[in-house]
Amino acid sequence: MSALAGLGLLLLALLGAPLFAVIVAGAMLGFLRQDIDLSVIGIEIYRLAEMPVLLAIPMFTLAGYILGESQAPRRLVRISNLLLGWLPGGLAIVALAACALFTAFTGASGVTIVALGALLYPALKQAGYPEKFNLGLITTAGSLGLLFAPSLPLILYAVVAQQMTLERPVNIDDLFIAGILPGILMVVLLSVWSGWKHRHSWKRQANFQSWREAKAAVMDAAWEIPLPFLVLGGIYGGYIAVSEAAALTAFYVLVVEVFIRREIPLGRLPGLMREAMIMVGGIIIILGVSLASTNYMIDAEIPTRVFETIREHIDSRLAFLILLNIFLLGLGMMLDIFSAIVIMIPLILPIAMGYGIDPLHLGIIFLANMQLGYFTPPVGMNLFIASYRFEKPVWDIYKSTLPFFFILLAAVLIITYWPALSLALL
Amino acid sequence: MTNSGSLPARLIRLLHAVEDGILILLLTAMLLLGVTQILLRNVFDSGLLWAGPLLRVMLLWVGLLGAMVASRYDKHIGIDVLSRLAGEKWRPWLRIATDLFAGLVCVIVAFYAGRFVLDEFTYATPGFAGIPAWMLEIVIPLAFGVIALRYLISSGMQLQRGLKGSIRV
Repeated sequence: MSALAGLGLLLLALLGAPLFAVIVAGAMLGFLRQDIDLSVIGIEIYRLAEMPVLLAIPMFTLAGYILGESQAPRRLVRISNLLLGWLPGGLAIVALAACALFTAFTGASGVTIVALGALLYPALKQAGYPEKFNLGLITTAGSLGLLFAPSLPLILYAVVAQQMTLERPVNIDDLFIAGILPGILMVVLLSVWSGWKHRHSWKRQANFQSWREAKAAVMDAAWEIPLPFLVLGGIYGGYIAVSEAAALTAFYVLVVEVFIRREIPLGRLPGLMREAMIMVGGIIIILGVSLASTNYMIDAEIPTRVFETIREHIDSRLAFLILLNIFLLGLGMMLDIFSAIVIMIPLILPIAMGYGIDPLHLGIIFLANMQLGYFTPPVGMNLFIASYRFEKPVWDIYKSTLPFFFILLAAVLIITYWPALSLALL
Repeated sequence: MTNSGSLPARLIRLLHAVEDGILILLLTAMLLLGVTQILLRNVFDSGLLWAGPLLRVMLLWVGLLGAMVASRYDKHIGIDVLSRLAGEKWRPWLRIATDLFAGLVCVIVAFYAGRFVLDEFTYATPGFAGIPAWMLEIVIPLAFGVIALRYLISSGMQLQRGLKGSIRV
């Protein structure tokens, strides 16, 4: 009976029923089986109001929507060009770095492709890079940077992990540090490949333009440059919590882009806020109902039972990690990163810890895997955004991302099987 | 939907404006309160005791109001693999089924969440700063109720069109 209900729910999810409804239906069926009054659903959803760090979600998302609508992406590209444009494959590397930075500070909501892609795509074309390469690069870069602080997926992983009582709780600041080297590995691998692929066309064109251009670019971005320092300095200096850093970022960005630079008319602001909160609402409601389903799963000791079943077949950590990679790749194809975190982490984390995997390392493995999911068919969000934005069939976009996919897959494997990369800086 | 000047259409527009208005006001208030709190603590070495709990409740409200608005634009996160493969002919019928499912599930959640809030009202559970808990929690049944209505209406309208044989996607 319960297996049948589970299959029915899975089918409904695959048919396109909203995920939050599927999750809450599953949780309610579970509670019914345990003779628990369904009012508990309301109590569980209200727990959303007990997690201060969740404030980061609307705040960073809002900041992202505002930045994306302003001219800040143009200034970001200009500055990146100044710093990295002289390298072989310079503009490609500029694109990777700029996208990574933008994604880290604005969540990973698909804003990056729209905001930066629109700028970089024609620029790359003009600089003589082939069309297919450009499409692949931009689509891939759209999800790059989600391992860098203070990206929303990192925060959400920590939030979900903290819901479970672990021997070693997951601390957000530690997770931020764990993401640094794996994130750099991804950017470097993609940069090296882009540079190598275009080493012959490297004309030393715009090596170092001139001190005047340098000064102009810095002055141009004078309002935005302090932002990363303010946020990361504030967090690591112990002055502000992550959620407060998010509020500060949103406030700062709003004041600068709307009131000081006046690049977004005040009348556009309510619309932008609404768009951002639609995105946030979609995530928050899934998180809310997942609190209920997670609670049920832990009560019913489902992770323990799954672990015991897996343990009968797999006894080595290595074999488990291989299986995990394959599973997560499949998962990433179906689920967006936010749903995947709230639905799967409560199940996977206790199992992985049973195999002696560090919860911080698991977080980085999980997110790195999910990053690939952004541009793997059939539902990779960035494939559709890129297809829509650049008016190309999804299939073309997919083909163009293939080489990038294999490079990032290599990065994911290194991250998975070399825990020190994630844990060395801690 | 209906022609734009009719009473139901005007009512719906009004409802949308109220939803949007509350959402945007709450978000703005959250932003200002959050920044004020940082300033007070770091510059003036003080703080508002109720700001923390209030901000957390506002998050709940903003999230659920956002979810209400998301259901208005059909922007909820879903997987949607099979319906993409299903083809033009079947897709509207699948939508009727999934919308109906989502609507019914939300009705149940709204009902039980409503009962929970009613209990809190009856027992006068305190929230914080003198605000009773039920006032903070009421958004849960409210949001699920509105979302339920939206999905049920959507599936009903699709069904009506389907029975008339005029479904086009």
